[in-house]
Amino acid sequence: MSGFSTSLRAAVSAALLVCGVAGAAGAQAVAPATATLPGGVMYEIRPDPAQSGAAVALWFRAPAGGFAEPAAPGLSRLAAATVSASAPISGTPLAQLVERFGGRLGVAAYPDSVAITALVPPDRVAQTVRAMTADYFAPVVTAPGFAVAQRDVGEDALLRSVEPDAIEDALGAALFASGPFHDGTIPTAKLGDVTVEGVRAFAERAFRPANAILILAGNVDAAALGSVAARSGDTAPGAPEPALTPAPAPRTAETEPLRRTGVVSGTGLGWLGPPIADERAATAMDFLADLLFAPKSGTVARALGGRKATVTGKFVTYHDPGVFLVTITGDDAAAARPIVDKAVAAAAVPMSAAAFEAARAAFVYRLLAAMESPSEVADTYGWYAVEGDPAYAPAEGGLGGRYFSLAAALTPASVAQSAARYLGAPPAVVTFAKRGPAPPKAPA
Amino acid sequence: MIAVLAAAALGAALAAPAAAPAPRTTVVDLGGARAYVHADQASPLAAVELFVRAGLNRQAAGQSGLAALVAESVLHTPVDGIPLADAVDARGASIGYVVSAQHVRFFLEGTPAGLAAAAPLVARALAAPAFDPASAAAARIALAERSADEDGDPRFVGLQMLRGSYYRGPAGLPALGDPGSLGALTPADAKAFFARWYLRGDAFVAAVGQTGDATDAAGLALVKALAPGTAPAAVIATRPFGVESRRIVTHRDVGAPYVALGFAAPSLGDRDFPAALVLRALLSGVFERPGATTQPPVFRAAGTIYGYDTAPAQLVLWINGSRLDPEQGLTEVDTLLKRAAAKPLAASVLGRYKETARGAWTLETVSLDQRAFAVGNAVAHGLDADVTDAVGAAIARVTAADVQRVAKKYFQRFDVALVMPRANEN
Repeated sequence: MSGFSTSLRAAVSAALLVCGVAGAAGAQAVAPATATLPGGVMYEIRPDPAQSGAAVALWFRAPAGGFAEPAAPGLSRLAAATVSASAPISGTPLAQLVERFGGRLGVAAYPDSVAITALVPPDRVAQTVRAMTADYFAPVVTAPGFAVAQRDVGEDALLRSVEPDAIEDALGAALFASGPFHDGTIPTAKLGDVTVEGVRAFAERAFRPANAILILAGNVDAAALGSVAARSGDTAPGAPEPALTPAPAPRTAETEPLRRTGVVSGTGLGWLGPPIADERAATAMDFLADLLFAPKSGTVARALGGRKATVTGKFVTYHDPGVFLVTITGDDAAAARPIVDKAVAAAAVPMSAAAFEAARAAFVYRLLAAMESPSEVADTYGWYAVEGDPAYAPAEGGLGGRYFSLAAALTPASVAQSAARYLGAPPAVVTFAKRGPAPPKAPA
Repeated sequence: MIAVLAAAALGAALAAPAAAPAPRTTVVDLGGARAYVHADQASPLAAVELFVRAGLNRQAAGQSGLAALVAESVLHTPVDGIPLADAVDARGASIGYVVSAQHVRFFLEGTPAGLAAAAPLVARALAAPAFDPASAAAARIALAERSADEDGDPRFVGLQMLRGSYYRGPAGLPALGDPGSLGALTPADAKAFFARWYLRGDAFVAAVGQTGDATDAAGLALVKALAPGTAPAAVIATRPFGVESRRIVTHRDVGAPYVALGFAAPSLGDRDFPAALVLRALLSGVFERPGATTQPPVFRAAGTIYGYDTAPAQLVLWINGSRLDPEQGLTEVDTLLKRAAAKPLAASVLGRYKETARGAWTLETVSLDQRAFAVGNAVAHGLDADVTDAVGAAIARVTAADVQRVAKKYFQRFDVALVMPRANEN
C-alpha cells in the first residue's frame, strides 16, 4: 500500500475545523489562562512578552508501550515522530515546517504521556499551532514518515542507552509489577514488530483533542488559539475521559536486584514516593533530590571527592505514586554506593537551620533556572497537567505560586520526616553490566 | 545616585528605513561605568553579566590559559571560608565565566533576593582574588576538567584549530589553555595579569531578567570592586587566506573524522552580517535529510559555529564524518559556495533561508545568559545594545544580490581542519 493512499484515507477520516475562539484578543497583552476549547482541548497560556521565542506544545496521556499487550516500549514516541515526519494532505510535515521557521521540534515520551514541543519565533506561533493540532488531531501516517521516525527513535534510543536514562528506565521494572512504568520507554526488540498500521491505530486513539493539553509559553498571543484545529465528532468537553493509561501496580514484595546488561554499567536505586496530590510531601522529595544529588554541590557530589563516579538523583512527580530514582555509574561506582546509602540515611535526621536555609535557597534557584526557556516552561505545565495537578506546576505564579509557597513552608523536620517515610525502606535495585564482546564465530 | 540615561540610536548600518523600534535596553550609570538593562519582569530570575577587557588577547607569549586561570581563581577565592562559587550557590544564585578573544565575562544569576545576597560576595572576591598556590591548584584542576570536556567534542577541537589558524597572536590561543601551558603559569603571573587588566574603566554590566534594585546594586558592587583605571582595546589581527586552503590535521579520541572549514565572516554590525546569516542557514541545511525532530549535533551531517563575539569574526562549518563522507562534503560545500558567488539565489531559495535565518537568530537569545551576552556583545563592539533586534529586521531585507556579494567576498577561501580518530581507534 502506498504512503499516499494511506495518508489520504487518514486525512479524510476526520474532518477538521478551526475553533474560532479567542481570536478577538488580537495582539493585546495576554493574561495567563487555563481553560478548555469547544473541541475539548485543554489549553494553558503563559505569556512572557519580553521573551524572544515562543513554545507550542501538545501533551497527550498515553502509555509509552501502546495499548495492547505485550507492550512495545517506544511506540508512543514512534507514533508522535511518524506524525511529525509525515506529509499531511495540506502540505509540509511539521518537522520540516518548524525547521523552516528556524525553530526546533522535539518529541519526548514518558511512561504515561508523550509530548511534542516546538520552539519558534513569535510570529510563527499561529502557524505552528494550526499545523501541530491539525496534524495530530487527524493523524496522517505515511510509510516514508514511518521510516524517518524509525530512524529518529533509533537514534534517540542510542543516545539514551549511554546515559543514566537506561538505568532509570529499568528501575520501573524493579518498582512495578506491570503497567507503563514497568515497561519503560526505551525501545526493545518488540518495537521492531510494530507496523505502519499499528502506529496509525495508536495515533488515532491517543492523539485526540479531548486527550490533549495545548501549552503556549513565552512570547505568545491568545489569538493563536483561534488556529487550533479540532476533530469533529470527538469527545465533547465534560464527557468522561476514557482511561488511556492503566494504573501502575507497585511490587508488593521485596525482590532480588534486577540484573541487566547494556552499554553502561552501574547501579540504580528506586523508591516509591508520594502521589502528586500530596503536594507538601512531593515538594519535600524534590528538595531532598536536590539536596543530595545536585551536580557538584549536592551532598553526595561533595562526598565523592575525586572518585570517578557519577551519581544522579531525582524525584519524579507522577500521579500516584511518585518515584525517587538514583543512578550510580563510573569506574568507582562500587565505592560510591556506600556514600549514597549514608547520605540517604542521614537525610532522615533534621538539618541545622542555617544549612537548611542555604540548601533551600539553592534548590529554589536551581528549579527556577531549569524553567528559563519557553520550552522548559511548557514542559513543566504539560507534565503537571498530565499528572493531574496543573495548579501545582512550579512555573505557576513564580515565587508566589503554590509550589514555591510549599517550598517556603518546608522545615528541617518536615523534610526529614519525608525522607524517613519514603526513603527509609530498602530500595529496589537494578544492576547494569556492560555487554561483553560478541562470542567469536565458529569457523566455517 | 543612579541616573537612567537614554539608549543610543541604532547603528546606521543596520537601521531600518522605517522608524526604528523603541529601545528595549536602558542604560544605568554605575558611577562611571554603565549597566545596560534589558528587563523581563515576567522572569522570576535576575542576572548581571560583568564584561572586563581581560580576554585572550591580553595574554603575553607563553601565557596560554592565563586569562581563564585568573577568572577561575576568582571563582575559587575563599569567601567566608568556602570557595566563592559555593558561597554563591548557598545564597540561591550561580556564577560562571566565559573567556573570549577580547573579554572575560562573569555571569551572576539568581532570584532577586539571591542575587542581592550573592553580589557582595562576588565583589569581595573581585576586589581581592586568591592567587595562592592552593587556590591556583584548585583552579587548574577545574580548568583541566573543562578543557577535557571540550577536547572530547570534535566540533570544538576543529573550531579551536581554525581560530588558531585565523587569529594572530594570543587571541587565537585556546580559551582554556592546555595542560602544559597551565602547569607553567605561576601565581605571580595570575596576580600580575589581574592587576594590569581587571580595570573598572573598561568594564560594564548587562542586566537582564527581573531587573530593579537587586540588579542595580549588584552591577554597582561588581564594577566598584575593580581597580580604577583603563587600558585601550587592542586590535585583533588575522592572517590572510592563501589561494590554496591551509590544512591542519590532528588526531584525537573521537569516533569518526570531522572536517571543519574556517571562513572570515562579517562582524556583528557589519552591513554584510545579515546576509552572512542567510548563508549560514543555507550551509547548515545543505546536507540535512528529512527528520522527525530537530536532531542533536551528534546526528547531524553538518553545522555551523559563528564566532561573532570577536571582531573580525569567523564562521566555522563542520562536517560529521560518521554521517557524510568528508571529501564529498567538502566538494559539495565548495560547489555550493562557488555557485552562490556566481549567480543570485532563486527567489524561493532565498525566501526559505531568510526565514530560517531570521528564526534561528531570534531564538539565539532565549535564556537569560544568552540575552545578557547579546546586549553586552553589542556594546563591547561599539554597537547599540538593541542591535540584535535590528539584525532580525535586517535579515528580512536581505536580497539575492546581498547574498551573492557576501558569498564572493567572504566565502571563497577558507582553512580546513581535520580531526581524525587516533590510529588505535576503530
